[in-house]
Amino acid sequence: MLPVFEGPLDLLLHLVRENKVSIWDIPIATICDQYHEAIRAMEQLDLELAGEYLVYATWLLVIKSRMLLPRHGEEEKDPRQELVERLLEYEKVKSAAAELGGLFEIRRGVESLRLQAPVASSELELDLEDLDVFALARALRGVMERHEREHPAAMELEPIRYSVRDKIFELYEIIGQQRSFPLLSHLLTRPDRIESVTLLLAALELLRLKVATAHQRAAFAEIYLMPTGAQLPMEGLTDA
Amino acid sequence: MLEAHALAALIEAVLAVAGEAVPLDGLEAAAGDGVGREAVEEAIEIVRQRHEQAGSGLFLERVAGGVRLATRPEHEGALRAFLGYRSKARLSQAALETLAIIAYRQPVTLPEISFVRGVNCAGVVRTLLERKLVIIAGRKQVVGTPLLYRTSKEFLVQFGLSDLAALPTPEEAEQGSDGGADGA
Repeated sequence: MLPVFEGPLDLLLHLVRENKVSIWDIPIATICDQYHEAIRAMEQLDLELAGEYLVYATWLLVIKSRMLLPRHGEEEKDPRQELVERLLEYEKVKSAAAELGGLFEIRRGVESLRLQAPVASSELELDLEDLDVFALARALRGVMERHEREHPAAMELEPIRYSVRDKIFELYEIIGQQRSFPLLSHLLTRPDRIESVTLLLAALELLRLKVATAHQRAAFAEIYLMPTGAQLPMEGLTDA
Repeated sequence: MLEAHALAALIEAVLAVAGEAVPLDGLEAAAGDGVGREAVEEAIEIVRQRHEQAGSGLFLERVAGGVRLATRPEHEGALRAFLGYRSKARLSQAALETLAIIAYRQPVTLPEISFVRGVNCAGVVRTLLERKLVIIAGRKQVVGTPLLYRTSKEFLVQFGLSDLAALPTPEEAEQGSDGGADGA
């Protein structure tokens, strides 16, 4: 298993160190061979990374050939020079990275102190932990009560089956014929309470219009309704 | 004009609610009229010593151009257990190398970073941007006008640096890394 390398420069630095050679005098043939061997072993390189390793593999071959076949003529600089410069540069980066890594490690637990001071913001955050379930229940009850107040249950309205006006005519007719009508027993025997109420209102209306008079001998005794002889006015009758 | 220890107490209170490094200007303003930079510096030193001498779980540090109160690093485990979060993700070797290049050569472009590392660093730089350790600092006026990157204020905070000048020099790094890198 090969160590994991960060790239071609990392691998080259590793080879230089492993061979215990000076970076200023790299035995390029040896390093070049070992480099090619190493990347051949890295079979599962992804394509992008492989390309970067191959660039350096080619470069190493170029340097190796220049070393073997020095050009004639002018004094030429060492073909390894640029590679050495890059390796030194990269080595510096590695040291700096290690230093930063160390700094980062020792500061893992360092967090800013921050007491919760009231914020000047209008958006106050709600601290859910301060809410207890009873406060929640109270709030819910308040909401429900208000809702009921504002939305009262619908009243059930009975269809209008009797009208005071009709009953006035009805009673007027009855007392015209009977002269003395037992109102109370009539009211109490109505099957429908609404009808009784309507009849009572009609009777009161007749009294008000002085079309009828009422007589009662004692409390809770029968109430007799009798005509006065006056005509029932057609105007001014309640419509209810 | 406040007496030195009273000013120290005032500054401590401000730092307690700040939640981040406060520039000295900010502390001076909070202290009110008649308090100069020198008095603030003196008060900061009093606060620092108080925490140090009391063996406090907090300490005063100069970071990112300001001053803050922070928890001592040795309580990391306790904080993590209490707050219920996982440890800060480590920075990979690739991330550290890239960050080092940006820190020492800023502003710097992606091709320049990739050239020094010998590999394409686009993905790593993106990660550093996401972690807010680096920021974009405009474009370089060369062919293709590539983006320039530099380190952020958050970088200074996370690495405990008062400013970029506080970065270890390359020479210091080289000496320190032989023992420190493998031993850490």
